[in-house]
Amino acid sequence: MTDARDTDLHLADPGEALRRAGVVYADYQSAKPVDPRVVAAMLPYLTEKFGNAASLHGVGDVATEALEEARGRVAALFGADPREIVFTGGATEASNLAIVGYALRNKRKGDHVIISEAEHISVLNIAKFLEKQGFRVTRAPIDLHGRVSPKKLRARISDETILVSLQWASSEIGTVQPIAEIAELLDGTGIALHSDAVAAEGLVPIDTSVVPVSLLSLSSNDIYGPRGLGVLYVRQGVQVAPVLLGGGQERGLRSGSEDLASIVGMAAAADIMAAEMPAEVERLRAIRDKLVERVLAEIPDSHLNGHPEQRLPNNAHFRFHGVEGEAMVLSLRDAGIAASTGSACSSKTLEPSHTLISCGLLHEEAHGSLEFTFGRWSEMEDVDRIMAALPGVIARLRALSPLYKTHAPATS
Amino acid sequence: MKSTQYTEKTLEHFRDPRNVGTLEGPNVAVGRVGNPVCGDMMDIYIEVVDDHIKDIKFQTFGCGSAVATSSMITELVMGMSLDDALKVSRGDVADALEGLPPIKMHCSNLAADALHEAIKNWREGVGPEDAKKTPGGTACHPIPAVVAEVEIQRLDEYDGKGLYRAVADLGDLADQRVVVLDTGDDAARLAMDLTEHTGRVVLMTTGKEPSVSPAVRSALRLSDVKVLAEAQPLELLGEGELERIRVHDLNEDEEYELTADAFVVLE
Repeated sequence: MTDARDTDLHLADPGEALRRAGVVYADYQSAKPVDPRVVAAMLPYLTEKFGNAASLHGVGDVATEALEEARGRVAALFGADPREIVFTGGATEASNLAIVGYALRNKRKGDHVIISEAEHISVLNIAKFLEKQGFRVTRAPIDLHGRVSPKKLRARISDETILVSLQWASSEIGTVQPIAEIAELLDGTGIALHSDAVAAEGLVPIDTSVVPVSLLSLSSNDIYGPRGLGVLYVRQGVQVAPVLLGGGQERGLRSGSEDLASIVGMAAAADIMAAEMPAEVERLRAIRDKLVERVLAEIPDSHLNGHPEQRLPNNAHFRFHGVEGEAMVLSLRDAGIAASTGSACSSKTLEPSHTLISCGLLHEEAHGSLEFTFGRWSEMEDVDRIMAALPGVIARLRALSPLYKTHAPATS
Repeated sequence: MKSTQYTEKTLEHFRDPRNVGTLEGPNVAVGRVGNPVCGDMMDIYIEVVDDHIKDIKFQTFGCGSAVATSSMITELVMGMSLDDALKVSRGDVADALEGLPPIKMHCSNLAADALHEAIKNWREGVGPEDAKKTPGGTACHPIPAVVAEVEIQRLDEYDGKGLYRAVADLGDLADQRVVVLDTGDDAARLAMDLTEHTGRVVLMTTGKEPSVSPAVRSALRLSDVKVLAEAQPLELLGEGELERIRVHDLNEDEEYELTADAFVVLE
């Protein structure tokens, strides 16, 4: 029988695989490839060092050591103490633990929670659940660029407020929120600040030793680690009640035997990100800026959504007058380009993106949105490939549209 | 099932739609359904000779199935008598496309409704320009018969806190989301002037078009002002200052909230 260690396991480079498939992938915000270096780090923990950290024998001890060492490396990326890292089954689960867990544990202090109008649908739905449990939830509005105003947030704070949940940045329109400012505002008030930081990971610095957030939802896949694993950062002194019960792993906060291979993977991803982030961010920003420059110059009646400067370096979110989002994405799919949209027809609920509506866009503008997000294997020539197809896609759909005729071209 | 799990037939009609365009002339009627708020809007033009559909064209704003169903229906009814065309249903179109995802059956099958609307307009002598002007036609929801004069709730509460009855200094509204209520030429001119100070100016009118003179109408078309038609403001909302306007969409007979920092209602 072949010794598994002698097998040459070939891991495809994601960029090469996409090129061979003829796909330009510009939807990194929805899923990222796992870095092959991360996969290599994970493999021994699937077949060799497979133990359960709770076991008292040698195999278990190897697992415990690997688990705690990985925890430390993940903590380091976010400026945290290892004791502040709780591994979960993804960022959505982390948000459940943060918001529901914090509210239930601290309800004797109050029953009011504030979120923003720009939150990811997962946070909106978790907040709806809290309302059904008798909590009062207020949504702080955003400005035309999708940014929460600290002033408007402060106006909504009451004596019963126990928690504010505000994204670090929008995964949709790319706007970065004034988290540091709001963390300062809340510091010392006894009100906890939770931030869904998934969209910002690996793109803007997230340092809990500098920004006094209480809770952070983090995802492994968003730093090119394996999907299905996340982290809840819980600042020392902050108490949450568990939402997943069982054998008491993760200090009782998240029961279930740890996904050791994935955790080791996330640690490897964290090490890589710590080393490569500054250069990667600049490279992505250049690709994104080139796309934005070309789209706004070459396609009439196109606009950039989100904040022009305070935005994630990899995000380009546009709206095009007179055309609908799903139709654009389908047409681009035919051209081998993967992008996404916030249009109603493309969502499960047939409602347009609530973030775009809260920015003040009219429904018809929200339907015409198209989002491109770049990542580790994106290349500058992806912009050329996109621009070889996009103007034609928009022109074809505008020729079909009864709306575009009635609108005279805006003077550029 | 994903919304985009379309059959090959549907994708074929999306990629290569038949009979795209408009028609003109004395024998032409048009049916318009849906509206941009809904995310789907279709115009179907028919040329009728001897009570038969001699030619048919469509224009659609909407998703993959909206385009495909419009295209398919023009293929199905070309040459049919009007009575036979009236019998073609939403289900027939979906079957001809070899099935549509369940979530797409509703809004996206407005193509059949648009065709029936065109035939109805033909028989009632409603010309294309008028057909496109009257609010409604078959929308996702029934339309109100009469739009009464509606008072805007809590208007005075926001005086000085987002509600403006006059704008002394346009710079006050820099970078704000401004909604100007259509009260005539002055309001439209103010809206256009405001585009120098902010990127978001919406001119809200209850009519199909703002009630302005032809010269102002032309200037408006070339400006950056966004016209929001068939919208009735109902109430102002916000925590201590204006943040949203509750609006009644007269076409779909639905209410929604429009985010705004300033609302200008000139005396």
